[in-house]
Amino acid sequence: MQKLQLRSGNQMVAEGAVAAGCRFFAGYPITPASGIYKGMIDLLQQRGDLAVSAPDEISALAYCVGASMRGFKPMTATSGPGWALMTETVQYALMTETPVVIALVQRLGPSTGGATQGAQGDLLFVEYCTSGGYTIPVFCPSTLRECYELTHRAFSCAEELRTPVVLLLDKEVGMTVARIDYGDLQTPALVNRPANVEYRGSLPGKQRMYEFADRSEVPAFVPVGGRMKVTATGSAHNKSGELKKNDDETLDVLYHLESKITAHADKFKVLGIDREEGAATLILSYGITARAMRESVYLARAGGKKVSAINVQSLFPVPYRELTAAAEGASRIIVAEENMQGQYRQVIEHVFRAQEVLGVNKIGSMITPEEISRLII
Amino acid sequence: MIPPAETASPYSVEHCAMPFCKGCGHAHVLRHLGEALGQLHLDPSKVCLVTDIGCIGLADSLFPAVHTVHTTHGRSTAFATGIELADAVLADSKLKIIVLIGDGGAMIGLLHLVNAALLNVDVTVLLCNNFLFGMTGGQNSAFSPLDFVTATSPKGNIVPPLDICNVMVDAHARFVVRSLATDKNLTSTIAQAVSFEGFSLVEIVELCTEYGTKKNQLSGNQLRSIAERHGQRFGELHGTNDRPEFASLYSGKFPPVQSVHPPGRSNGNEDSLDNFLTPTCSSSLDRKKGIIVAGSAGERVQSTAHLFCQAAVRAALYSTQKNDNPVTQGTGFSFSEICISPREIWYTGIERADAVIIVSEDGLRETSAKGIFPKLTPEAIVIADSELKIPETRARVLQLPFRSTCGAVKAAAAGLSAYLTLTDDFPVSAFHEALNGKTGAGKTFFAESFHLMLDSLCPASFANAGR
Repeated sequence: MQKLQLRSGNQMVAEGAVAAGCRFFAGYPITPASGIYKGMIDLLQQRGDLAVSAPDEISALAYCVGASMRGFKPMTATSGPGWALMTETVQYALMTETPVVIALVQRLGPSTGGATQGAQGDLLFVEYCTSGGYTIPVFCPSTLRECYELTHRAFSCAEELRTPVVLLLDKEVGMTVARIDYGDLQTPALVNRPANVEYRGSLPGKQRMYEFADRSEVPAFVPVGGRMKVTATGSAHNKSGELKKNDDETLDVLYHLESKITAHADKFKVLGIDREEGAATLILSYGITARAMRESVYLARAGGKKVSAINVQSLFPVPYRELTAAAEGASRIIVAEENMQGQYRQVIEHVFRAQEVLGVNKIGSMITPEEISRLII
Repeated sequence: MIPPAETASPYSVEHCAMPFCKGCGHAHVLRHLGEALGQLHLDPSKVCLVTDIGCIGLADSLFPAVHTVHTTHGRSTAFATGIELADAVLADSKLKIIVLIGDGGAMIGLLHLVNAALLNVDVTVLLCNNFLFGMTGGQNSAFSPLDFVTATSPKGNIVPPLDICNVMVDAHARFVVRSLATDKNLTSTIAQAVSFEGFSLVEIVELCTEYGTKKNQLSGNQLRSIAERHGQRFGELHGTNDRPEFASLYSGKFPPVQSVHPPGRSNGNEDSLDNFLTPTCSSSLDRKKGIIVAGSAGERVQSTAHLFCQAAVRAALYSTQKNDNPVTQGTGFSFSEICISPREIWYTGIERADAVIIVSEDGLRETSAKGIFPKLTPEAIVIADSELKIPETRARVLQLPFRSTCGAVKAAAAGLSAYLTLTDDFPVSAFHEALNGKTGAGKTFFAESFHLMLDSLCPASFANAGR
């Protein structure tokens, strides 16, 4: 049965987070992400869970990481200027293998840019924020339903891989109000970090803070306050969590931080593939521009043209295999995104050897369906 | 690993090889900390040391029985605050969290100290102030005394040192003590700070023997006089504001509840259809339409547009709403872009508006500034207040005295009512039901005179109808 309501993307992120078991939120106001902050204050406080105002974005994320080390699922929300402050703590979470979800609602940059103007210009800023170039999983919703479900997915990913995960929205997806059918929402099963075990009595002889045999393994989580001692550091460390210079085991841990993400990437791929047999054009897009893409596909097909399209909802790790498979038979790839350079196009275009790759790019306003349709052959 | 219970004290650092230079004050502090924890007989699994960057951050390895979290520079107090908030509110536990931070970390992370004090979280901060950055070669810090010679103040420091204890008292911290690393009663001071329920900070003034002593001809017995020369008092410095720690206040206001609401409902446990916009009528609309509502801040433009979108859903349509206003939200224009459609709306923008409803001068100015008028087609309609001077346009124009008849805060609703009456995109009654839902039982949103005005509307009402 239909259960219709009007909601914003920001509200659906908050509801998705609570449905995913998020019990801790620390926030700092920033347009266009403040709706998530407000939503989490309302939802968590009425449940007796913790939603708190932080004095800045550095504190907001640090509070979340501390709460996660204690064993609870946390989230914070920000926009580009706040993300700039958070990158120190994002790296700390990555290094200490602490799950955390950061919802980043993009606005026009650089610097304080345009607070109430949409943009999709933070993609590379988000992905390449670490010293060492580690992969940050990034999910990117374009609809209210995707806001809800990808938030859930982001928590699953953060918990299962024990790593910071970014939920990348933009002003238009976050703040635009639209019709949602709650009867149609999928709430997948809760996923918690692996083996959240409190050891009691005799301790297992060789259990260490970051125990893994294979680099791609995700070690069992040890909570601060449990019976097993936590040894955590943002500095290079061995599997016991002890600060070390580059001995073999310490380097093994550093390789492991990347391997565990790429090895499990398949599990967290989300693509909305709309393939039409015989189509020469394949359009790729994400976030708000994926909505213009879907409209242009509708219009093109109504006009008798054949066209395929992919709404990429898990941007990183890049789902190369699925993208190249979907491009088979196409001669033209169009990558549509609301930024100046074609940020995602730059990342993916090298895999399309047999096709012409074109970008639809601009800043300052949403890309329109017509701007995409012009390039469909 | 946690040692077996029969060990005398799991905290003793007496026999540890200290990773510090000879005579370093940090060694004194950590011995006193070990003794204090031993005296308190705390379960080691319920103690967490959160250490900052710098020499004092090497303490982790000296406390193998307790949880240790070594953090980024200055942020130790913020991570500790997060651990404590989750521990006390969500886990309902009593973890003892102790931050070890230097004077360098205290300044880069000053706001975390201030906020922890303001929140009054149950965290203890031991601030080891040796007047400089020791690990990186003895650079001056915000805590360096006047005339202090360091690698980066070779002719003597000319900036007065921060009195962190005063800052903490001003931030309503209730347990603030300044002490010397050599104080005999430092153990009991630390034990009291750790036992204190709420935020506590102990500033421990000490010597960096490697970088602090030689150029300044400094010895341990001069520390007190150096601090006092800057007006910094020793001993307990009380804040006056007696108040409970954060978690007990929070949990008192927001007690934990067992029931979990399903998504879509902000409150209540019933999966009631009252919480949803169940369609009650239908619409003959056969395509997507874009409607712009332009008015002034504080005149309910955006909230009225929201009710319009709700009414569209009640008429089994899809609807979207995008708002715009100046950066300051309480003044200037207020703008809503509404799309309604019989099928799902993918693109939420409006390239060429089907209708523009303008109900104030601010709204008219912004509509012109956004370049909306030149794009209007002859099929489009402009519905505006009678007082406004609408520029030349190909669209059909209808002007009615919305503001004078209905008042400024109902002008947007009046304009949208006129739109629905003329177009019948969906029944105007659905919109009026949504409006009446906000006015309370027995009252109608519009006065009878406006309903009569609506009833008289027809295609011939447009000023340029015959064109």
